Amino acid sequence: MLPAPLAPTRPAFLTRTTPVARLVAGTAWLVAGIVTLDPIVPVRLSLAAIVALWLWSGLPLRRIPGRLAPLGFAMLSLTVFSILLSSANGDRSLATLAQIGPARITGPAISAGIAVGLRVVVIALTTLLVFGPSDPTRMADSLVQQWHVPDRFAYGTLAALRVAPFMAGDWTTIGAARRLRGLAPRGPVARVREAGGRLLVMLVSAIRRAERLALAMDARGFDSGVRRTHFREFRVGWRDWLTILVAVAVAAAAFFVPR
Amino acid sequence: MKALPASRPSTELFRWRTVDIVVVALLAVAFGVVFWAWGTYVWAWGSFLGPQTESLLTGVWLLPAVVCPLIVRRPGAALFGELVAAVVSALLGSYWGLDTLLSGLLQGAGAEVVFLITMYRAWNPVIAILAAAGAGIGEAIHDLIVSYPGLDYAGRAAIGAAEIVSAIAIVGIGGWFLVRALRRTGALQTFPSGG
Repeated sequence: MLPAPLAPTRPAFLTRTTPVARLVAGTAWLVAGIVTLDPIVPVRLSLAAIVALWLWSGLPLRRIPGRLAPLGFAMLSLTVFSILLSSANGDRSLATLAQIGPARITGPAISAGIAVGLRVVVIALTTLLVFGPSDPTRMADSLVQQWHVPDRFAYGTLAALRVAPFMAGDWTTIGAARRLRGLAPRGPVARVREAGGRLLVMLVSAIRRAERLALAMDARGFDSGVRRTHFREFRVGWRDWLTILVAVAVAAAAFFVPR
Repeated sequence: MKALPASRPSTELFRWRTVDIVVVALLAVAFGVVFWAWGTYVWAWGSFLGPQTESLLTGVWLLPAVVCPLIVRRPGAALFGELVAAVVSALLGSYWGLDTLLSGLLQGAGAEVVFLITMYRAWNPVIAILAAAGAGIGEAIHDLIVSYPGLDYAGRAAIGAAEIVSAIAIVGIGGWFLVRALRRTGALQTFPSGG
């Protein structure tokens, strides 16, 4: 049911960086991508992201297009509706480029629409660069060590993440149990009602699991109040500063360099 | 050891027990999975209906911001729940990923403010609806800036209103009934909301 996470297949520059450094670097691109309606900025950032994915991420490149395919829908509809509903279309001083029924379409509307559609690409590629090169455990380690996120919250969340695959199993089991009792849905309305019923049972089972897990964790002193030491230590090094520096420089260049 | 047995409700409001943390995190993980499925299978198709209609479906994204605090009744539960759900959907490969963190932060903060105003003492349907509206406002602020920046005022007002209405219907009213259904199963006995 759940897609396998995209993990790096070889060591690369970004797999050796601290996760929070990538988070900072990615945020710079996200901000640069969403503060302007000029399409050249997301185009430049997308190209930079593709280069970075190719050279430094260590991710299997062949699996990326398949993973990003559903993105096409979102991008297309966001672009089309941004163009059709743009406020620039009501500006009489702009030349009409096309007339579709009552809708009038102008040049600035098209360029802004393309910019909004390309934002989605920038966000998706940057997300891969930030979360792709390491697993959730390292992200939690780094959040606790570098940003001093409360450790009980970070590791409690990590423990909950480990249980996620069991919940997918629960979903299947609950469905089978309901069918056995003759509760198999017929028709779309019944299907939605049935999904609601299954979701409730799944949430009950999730709460029960969480309670047992918390009890087991407390039994091992999770909440003892003793200062925690770290098994894997992250030190912010030159690679991290270089990553942040280059990302900010690229974001600034994408934004300020004239066409 | 100052750890309390998990079955005794803690009297200290600001001290999260391990069971509070893990239950909110696991519920958020469950919602994160729902987000991912919703975004991939429903949202992608719903986007052909146009932004105003689509905005009526956005309430689903806000469920953790209201359901988690209604269950554990701790300060910060709205923010923590919504952020974890955002992180989980990013880890599952939701293509919005990094941007989800930003919107999760705004949505969680919108609901958290309402619970903060009540000093975490009032837990009734009216507060649930107000918190849902708060989360909806946070979401509308994010979406109008990131997804619909070039639209005219009428279009943006319609989208903002649709998102808030959706939040109130799906999360305020729906979330309240969801927590009530959970309580009736007896699953919430460890929590102040279970009695």
